Amino acid sequence: MLNALFKRFTGQTSTKDAAKKRLKFTLVCDQLEVNDSTLKNLQGDIIQVISRYFEIDREALQLEVQRDKEVSALVFNTPILCVKKEIATAVPGNKGGKKSYKKKKK
Amino acid sequence: MEGRIIVVTSGKGGVGKTTATASIGAALALEGKRVAVIDMDIGLRNLDVVLGLENRIVFNIVDVVNGKCKLRQAAIRDRRIENLFLIPASQSDNKDILTPAGVERVGRLLKKEFDYVLMDSPAGIERGFENSIASADEAVVICTPDVSSVRDADRVIGLLYARSITPKLVVNRIVPEMVAKGDMLSHEDVIDVLSVPLVGLVPMDQQVVISSNVGLPLVMQNDSTAGQAFRRIARRLNGESDLPIQVPSHKKGMWGMLTRKFGKK
Ligand SMILES: Nc1ncnc2c1ncn2[C@@H]1O[C@H](COP(=O)(O)OP(=O)(O)O)[C@@H](O)[C@H]1O
Ligand SMILES: [Mg+2]
Repeated sequence: MLNALFKRFTGQTSTKDAAKKRLKFTLVCDQLEVNDSTLKNLQGDIIQVISRYFEIDREALQLEVQRDKEVSALVFNTPILCVKKEIATAVPGNKGGKKSYKKKKK
Repeated sequence: MEGRIIVVTSGKGGVGKTTATASIGAALALEGKRVAVIDMDIGLRNLDVVLGLENRIVFNIVDVVNGKCKLRQAAIRDRRIENLFLIPASQSDNKDILTPAGVERVGRLLKKEFDYVLMDSPAGIERGFENSIASADEAVVICTPDVSSVRDADRVIGLLYARSITPKLVVNRIVPEMVAKGDMLSHEDVIDVLSVPLVGLVPMDQQVVISSNVGLPLVMQNDSTAGQAFRRIARRLNGESDLPIQVPSHKKGMWGMLTRKFGKK
């Protein structure tokens, strides 16, 4: 009965498929939330990469997991202060990265 | 040779940890092993009543850890099943009465006395859980085929992995009719989500309640499907790793076959 109702409203094949889908989704979110150190590391790495190209406001940035019905997304939100000139014009894959990635003096 | 300490845990309450501890413990003893089942649910002791040994309690696990009595004094010998011993929980409501270090120390003594030591863990992932896994070499995680139980199992599995324990999974309270209709997660679904090795599948069985009413070990009831499932789990844990895992199925016979046919449509 409940099953039939459920099918009509959601167009899904069975309640257990719905259960499984919700479970898989929840576990991914749980693990991201639980594992603070992973998120911290990820944040550090992302900052490192982005900082090569942009001046960003490290204090204001946010990293979060957004969940939607169908998909979950990792959203990284940061104000960009300015584009680093050297990099913006540099050829991608340029060697000797370290030097050219140095912060521009203002 | 030293014995093995196996913690039976789940995260969520009411999924069958105590039932499993009592049943697997009794089944291992029936296999001829020397077994201690230990109630680590301090303040909410229950393993004693499930096994029908509640009238014989003198000391408890807290007394052992705190040095108030010897291990042997606290271990209640089951008179029906040879080689089965229970160490009950205390009914203290002091959460910090046990420490992981204390439990670990007693664990080393237990391993010298018994072939198998089963720790019945409390629900949750806090101090009581920490205590119950403190001395464990292995773990059996119990879950039921529902979203909240599987989610909690996943959490606990993560904590066990962090201690280098690869848990084995028991899916309990399976209702084959519902699985067939697509209204209950199948064990395949559960394993797919949790990705841990399976050690057994236990059907929903009225005998579980009936035997706990009278305090008779479930595995002694020959007509209990859950009891049989637990006996097979015990054999698998006890080294018969290629013993096939039986998937609970609907009742045989005309009616069962008919409903199965309709169920498929
Ligand atoms: N396979 C089963 N079939 C029917 N009832 C069960 C089964 N397993 C457990 N139960 C019942 O579920 C309840 C909770 O079980 P219990 O072992 O006390 O769980 P936990 O120790 O995880 O809290 C008990 O009333 C028990 O009789
Ligand atoms: Mg219990």
